[in-house]
Amino acid sequence: MLKKLLKHEWISVSKVLGPVNLGVILITIIGSIILSTDLLDGNNMFPMIVVLLSLYIISLMTFASVTLIYVYVRFYKNLFTAEGYLMYTLPVTGTQLFHSKLLVGFFWSGVNTILTMLSTIILAFTATLHTTSKEDMQYIFSSVNDSAKDFRFEDILGYQPVVFLIIIVLVMLTSCLSSILMGYLSILLGQLVEKNRLAASIGFYMVIYMINQILSSIVMIFPNTKFILEGNSVSFLGDLSRLLFPGLLITQLFFSIVFYVVSLILVRRQVNLE
Amino acid sequence: MTLLECKGLTKKYGNFTALSDCSLQIERGHIIGLLGPNGSGKTTLIKLICGLLNPSSGTVQIMGESVGPSSKKLISYLPDHTYLNKSMRVRDIMDFFDDFYEDFDSMRAYDMLAKLQINPNHKLKALSKGNQEKVQLILVMSRRASLYVLDEPIAGVDPAARDYILNIILENYDENATILISTHLISDIENILDEVIFIQNGKLHTHGSVDDLRQKEHRSIDAIFREVFKC
Repeated sequence: MLKKLLKHEWISVSKVLGPVNLGVILITIIGSIILSTDLLDGNNMFPMIVVLLSLYIISLMTFASVTLIYVYVRFYKNLFTAEGYLMYTLPVTGTQLFHSKLLVGFFWSGVNTILTMLSTIILAFTATLHTTSKEDMQYIFSSVNDSAKDFRFEDILGYQPVVFLIIIVLVMLTSCLSSILMGYLSILLGQLVEKNRLAASIGFYMVIYMINQILSSIVMIFPNTKFILEGNSVSFLGDLSRLLFPGLLITQLFFSIVFYVVSLILVRRQVNLE
Repeated sequence: MTLLECKGLTKKYGNFTALSDCSLQIERGHIIGLLGPNGSGKTTLIKLICGLLNPSSGTVQIMGESVGPSSKKLISYLPDHTYLNKSMRVRDIMDFFDDFYEDFDSMRAYDMLAKLQINPNHKLKALSKGNQEKVQLILVMSRRASLYVLDEPIAGVDPAARDYILNIILENYDENATILISTHLISDIENILDEVIFIQNGKLHTHGSVDDLRQKEHRSIDAIFREVFKC
């Protein structure tokens, strides 16, 4: 039954989040085209560059917010409003319903995160290629090669380039997962309240979000304090990176597991639809 | 085997008791009216049977199964409001039911849609409210379920639509199944009922055969209802 739930969840969610994420691809293509032409080359184009850059950032933030909010709304609307009367009378378990929402929501949220990251990399790369002359580019590459003799990539960012990229992607994906589960858990906790369940869910979300932020900040205090007290050498940047990213990864993974386990306990209880 | 058995079923919301110590048994092959005024506990009882509410105490069993995926396979439920995603096409909703319910007869459903001249390619929100309700009823009655639980299927519709709805229910009625219809519009459905259950203030008032009650009281069920629930 989980396969069937996944199929129908995929169809419904993709109708909304497919176009949203196509939007990210579209603004990346438009941005790359604009940046690879001479449209913004004039001296008086600075205000236009600021406007376009702001629009680009706002669009990316909007697409990311829409994705996450839709994942929450879909979970709430499909399970705890009128549609819940259909979903909870299907011959499936609460756990299967929960997993179908989680897997599809996580997929689209993850896709949005990776697309957003790729979009910024592509635009930055396109802008650099266009604004830098061949001579300057050669100079940059030779400078980087010279620096590489003194400093390795690992010294600056703590890891080899590929490993660094994988860790960044993992940190972002676990953040996605913990964000989705935090929303789901808040909605499930809201269902334990007799009245004003939506308001209660928002309240629970704010409380859990604050706890998440406080605990994450405490975990991050140690490497940051060490950096402030000791750090100004290039190798220390690498040391910081080696502490910071695994710290973030473990913290978000820890929260994800806690949110998941508590959510699972709640979805196994029989529902009380309003 | 008893089709539906409720024992000491109680549902409380804080200090308010919506259903109190309700015990009843329902056998196969009946059309049963669940009758009571608004707020008497009909919908609460139905939601407990369908697993949409968690009882405060007591148990519900459907053919010996506690409420869960197995019992939900046996029940075809029509709520008192639209529970379908209105942005879905009628055809997609048919596929949805076909996927999840082994006993869903899609041929029968499409046949009923064709008789009503409802285009399955239309989105639900493009249909009139009356047709949306009919689509929902067609979906529910196109299952070969053991127990049909219909919550206020004829409330808020015109008399012609009521006749159509009752016809759909009767045409699709399988003698091995039982239909539990909740309503307060008794005169419209009295003629099709075998049994009635009266609920008053969250308590089971009467459960008996329509013929026995009529003989005993020398009145129609509608008249008995008006007497029992007189304000």
